[in-house]
Amino acid sequence: MIWSVAISLLGLMALSIPVGVVLFLLGVGVSEFYSAFPLLRGLGQMVWSSSASSTLIAIPLFVLLGEILVRGGVAERTYAALDKWLSWLPGGLVHANIATATMFSATSGSSVATAATVATVAMPQAERLNYDPRLFSGAIAAGGTLGIMIPPSINLIVYGFLTETSIPQLFLAGLIPGLLLALAFILVTVLICVVRPALGGPSRSFGWSERIRSLSQLLPIIFLFGVVIGSIYAGWATPTESAAIGVAMAVVIAAFGDGLNLRSMAEALEGTIRISAMIMLVIVGAYFLNFAMTSAGLGRQLSDLIQGSGLSPFGTLMLVIALYIVLGFFIETLSLMVATIPIVVPIMAGLGYDKVWFGILMIVLVEMALITPPVGLNLFVVQGARKRGSINDVIMGVIPYVLVMALMVAALIALPGLVLWLPSVF
Amino acid sequence: MVDHLNGALRRANRIVALALGIALVLTVLFILTDVFLRGFGLGSLGGSDEISGYVMAALASWGLACALVHRAHVRIDVIRLKLAAPGRAMMDILAMIVTNAIVLLVAYQSWPVLQKTLERGSRANTPLETPLWIPQGIWFAGWLWFALTATALTLIALSYLMAGRRDDFEATAGIGTEVEL
Repeated sequence: MIWSVAISLLGLMALSIPVGVVLFLLGVGVSEFYSAFPLLRGLGQMVWSSSASSTLIAIPLFVLLGEILVRGGVAERTYAALDKWLSWLPGGLVHANIATATMFSATSGSSVATAATVATVAMPQAERLNYDPRLFSGAIAAGGTLGIMIPPSINLIVYGFLTETSIPQLFLAGLIPGLLLALAFILVTVLICVVRPALGGPSRSFGWSERIRSLSQLLPIIFLFGVVIGSIYAGWATPTESAAIGVAMAVVIAAFGDGLNLRSMAEALEGTIRISAMIMLVIVGAYFLNFAMTSAGLGRQLSDLIQGSGLSPFGTLMLVIALYIVLGFFIETLSLMVATIPIVVPIMAGLGYDKVWFGILMIVLVEMALITPPVGLNLFVVQGARKRGSINDVIMGVIPYVLVMALMVAALIALPGLVLWLPSVF
Repeated sequence: MVDHLNGALRRANRIVALALGIALVLTVLFILTDVFLRGFGLGSLGGSDEISGYVMAALASWGLACALVHRAHVRIDVIRLKLAAPGRAMMDILAMIVTNAIVLLVAYQSWPVLQKTLERGSRANTPLETPLWIPQGIWFAGWLWFALTATALTLIALSYLMAGRRDDFEATAGIGTEVEL
């Protein structure tokens, strides 16, 4: 059953049938061919119980939070402020790209919207100041992936929901690896620009008075992150409640910057519904497939598979990582996660790997999927906002950052404490 | 005629999306009130968890149709992009028909959930004791709406395809990008 499901999954997705629909279809198939009793009768109940979830409503709330900030023009102002703080580093504006993308994709699930916004604001500057387009656009695409690791992260909510892992624990676990990745991105940019100054742009220094003034743009956002994440960790609020608080704060921040009117609010709401519904179809489909496979005896088959494979736990881990890297070339982040969770996570948990740790590892791997060609959503988005040159520039530009991520995967395996230490102290 | 239907479907789904958006905002206000009351030690409104779950169920059924008319449901297009226009159209119409079939099946299988609730007069096992037919009725209607929208879109797409109206077909059944939203 495992193999036929895996193969049909890839085949049907390759036919460009919507991913959520494919998951339902496979669930129906498992029920017809592998189950002794009809599982279809449980379909309605599964769809209802997975959708009526106060945990999952955190997803549209975080999407809305990001939409309000981005459509309210907050991202542009943050970019200008971060430029003043970071552009003295070798590589100049490239650092502002990484930092803005990191901050904004951190609030929202829509890292695509973030990458698009940053690209739109940043590209004219790059041309004016004569930056090499490759590293410049690569940094936006790569920075935009960090949002799914640094809490609040919609992908971690989905992982927690489908694998019954604590979401606050996952959020804590993602913090250190996420910040380390952001730091490593900045370091690698500095290194590249010191060795080959032509790849960066002019370092620009701004006076302290200018920097202090720009803080009025930065502090509200930093405060927002602080409250959203802090209220979860302090135990004041569930992720859903902290998302609601975040939405309210985002409205206030955007209203002060007078970027918010009735029209942009309506657009933000519509966009939120569309993006969340798209995510929900995939989740509900995966939930049903999960139910169908479990009822049809997945557990026994998995243990047979693991015992019969002759692979050590470490060997299996390497195989799984290779699988994600290969699939990541073709399949997008959330689809990749949701489609593989029902099969891969039970295997890894059965081998004794920690589910929180594996969740974070999986996030780094699917982050790579966002920026590896031929299908890397962020590459398309950045190229779309650039409106000139070839997408190959962006692809060249992300190479150093993909290498950094590969190193991160190795680091997480060698030092699981990077992930597990923070959740253990709270 | 087909264009009228298409336009009406889009407008209707825009209204659905806005209504869901407003429901989401009201949920935010409800949750915030609850958090503040609790924070100041004034007790709790109670049930914000439960209500937000129901809103989520409504969003995850009615919203699906809105995402469909905007071609927002994720499709993997590695192979599709390599094909010429006729091949792409084949894949688009296949995806549309399979989607339609699955949506009809799920909507059909969702009815027993509501039916049982109606027969037994079930209430939620919570302090609110919500009569479950209300949220489940809204949720089931959302799946019906999704089934209706999917069927209408399939027919619209087919008629565009037959009439050789490639751009309109692409706009109905192709792959949308999140960027243009």
